[in-house]
Amino acid sequence: MSTATSETVDTQAEAAVEEEEKKQGTFARLWFQHYDLVILPMIVILLLLFLFLYVGTRDLDTIEVRVLAFDNVQGLLAQHLYLVLISTILVLVIAVPVGILLSRRSARRLQGPVLAIGGFGQALPPFGVLLLMAFAFSFGPTTAIVGLTLAALLPVLRNTVIGLQQVDQSLIEAARGMGMTSRATLFRVEVPLAVPVIVAGLRVALVLNVGTATLASYIGAGGLGELVQQALRLNRINVLLVAGGIIAALALLIDWLAGVAERIVVTRSG
Amino acid sequence: MSDTADQTVVVPESGAGRSDMIVLEGVEKIYPGSTQPAVSQLDLAIAQGDIVMLIGPSGCGKTTTLKMINRLIEPTAGRILLDGKDVTHVNGDQLRRQIGYVIQQGGLFPHFSIADNIGVVPKMLGWDKQRIKERADELLHLVGLEPSTFRDRYPRQLSGGQQQRIGVARALAADPPVMLMDEPFGAIDPITRDRLQDEFLEIQRTVGKTIAFVTHDLQEAVKLGDKIAVFATGRLEQYADPDTILTRPANDFVSDFVGGGAAVRRLSLVELAHLELHPIETDEKAADSRNGVAVAEVDGSGKPVSWRHLPGADAAGTPLVTVPISGSVYDAVDVMLDGSASLVAVVDDEGRAQGVLHWNDLVGGLRTRKGDA
Repeated sequence: MSTATSETVDTQAEAAVEEEEKKQGTFARLWFQHYDLVILPMIVILLLLFLFLYVGTRDLDTIEVRVLAFDNVQGLLAQHLYLVLISTILVLVIAVPVGILLSRRSARRLQGPVLAIGGFGQALPPFGVLLLMAFAFSFGPTTAIVGLTLAALLPVLRNTVIGLQQVDQSLIEAARGMGMTSRATLFRVEVPLAVPVIVAGLRVALVLNVGTATLASYIGAGGLGELVQQALRLNRINVLLVAGGIIAALALLIDWLAGVAERIVVTRSG
Repeated sequence: MSDTADQTVVVPESGAGRSDMIVLEGVEKIYPGSTQPAVSQLDLAIAQGDIVMLIGPSGCGKTTTLKMINRLIEPTAGRILLDGKDVTHVNGDQLRRQIGYVIQQGGLFPHFSIADNIGVVPKMLGWDKQRIKERADELLHLVGLEPSTFRDRYPRQLSGGQQQRIGVARALAADPPVMLMDEPFGAIDPITRDRLQDEFLEIQRTVGKTIAFVTHDLQEAVKLGDKIAVFATGRLEQYADPDTILTRPANDFVSDFVGGGAAVRRLSLVELAHLELHPIETDEKAADSRNGVAVAEVDGSGKPVSWRHLPGADAAGTPLVTVPISGSVYDAVDVMLDGSASLVAVVDDEGRAQGVLHWNDLVGGLRTRKGDA
């Protein structure tokens, strides 16, 4: 192979450059590639800081003090996160396997109808669904979680189907051609390559759920919506400001976390 | 086999007594929802160590045929034998692990490192980690890529040509006796493709696999193939060595397919090393004494630089062009046309003159050396 020698020289030079980069430290490289990720948390921290300073300068009456007490806010925040987390996990557990099944050759004709039903679920106003479900079944967190799950099912389901669809057919053919079973091809080639798209769908579902979960308080499931309700009921504008600020900050932070996860997944799977 | 058997005298390396590695017997494929068979009643035998090029227009069944050999596509009828064993009904996944498979652009998994890509089949065969790693390094060497640099890279960090080399290395990983290649060099730029083809032949010289190779490029088929199978809409029209396909097409379809350039294409099959060349003299003392011999001026390292004397021609007005003896007559013609010269000096690896090829030799008929093809 006559070309081998010249190429080896090239690659050795490249290797030397890479060695140099390694010396500069992986931290510097990570910072250079992902510094944009720092912007959003900083904005959120500033927002919360301003909120805190503003409320701190106000004379709060006893009702406001009681509602804004750390224990109360923390409890509602925990409830809120619980609703979001459980419903998102349910979405993941239901939508990903269903999406994988729908992408199999034998089930492809079901894709259209199932995605249409998913779209129907997403198009229904979540508030109405939560209320109707509460009257039909029961008030409380369980119903809220079921409602949230239904509302956020579609993005993950659709992205799973699309993610699997866009896997290069020639890679599947290469895998089968080398003797991978269809199951091994699915789990070692197709799903790993679809993960970035699935995670993008999951991010949408998460953000959707953080917002929708504020409505859960209307059916007695608690959450930060409760804080909003209390503020409105008691006509306390300071409480309303704090409630709105926390909900917005939470949505932004969760979106940010999912974005970080998405980026990790994308860099991993090339 | 019968038609190669009578040529054994001419082509020593395809000696007699080799068994057929791949045999297709009455193989047929009718796709569901179609009445016309994609491949009909195909009989094809590929001898061990041969490269057989499957060629034909789009939709002629060449890819279907290839994929039926490893049963990616199940034949509707007929038998497939691999090394004498009927594999028509064995487990397809197990079978495919015994057959190397290369597709266009390599088909490398983007989320696997290069070493992991090469190790796919060995891993499925249950090799231990150390052995897989050693094998990957060995194969990277074989395809001319430095293991320490490339083994931990990802496919996207490689050029198209490098990816294709990895594709070949991956197919060779478990040392399968048979390789199937589906237009592996199809999507690569012409210069890189040419180099990859040369390297591929080089590798084949050391590994000696039995290879079925789908292409749509006649040039490639002629260059790489020991034999060529020309397909037309599901039928095998002719199956013979490249020279026969070019000079004696079996029917109108093949002659149409081969096209008008057959005589020129054939030139690339004739290697200069096998030709009886005109003598060339570089000794200065002999310059005036021998009238019938071309004499060239040489530089310090013995490389010819210009003509001192040409029999029946103006030496000063004729540029001296050279072609390496490892090339084909096609290369020599190319050099002559390019340099506007009516003759070309054939040189060895060190650049020393070995002989002369005249333009007139092409028209008058090329003489091959005795005892050589």
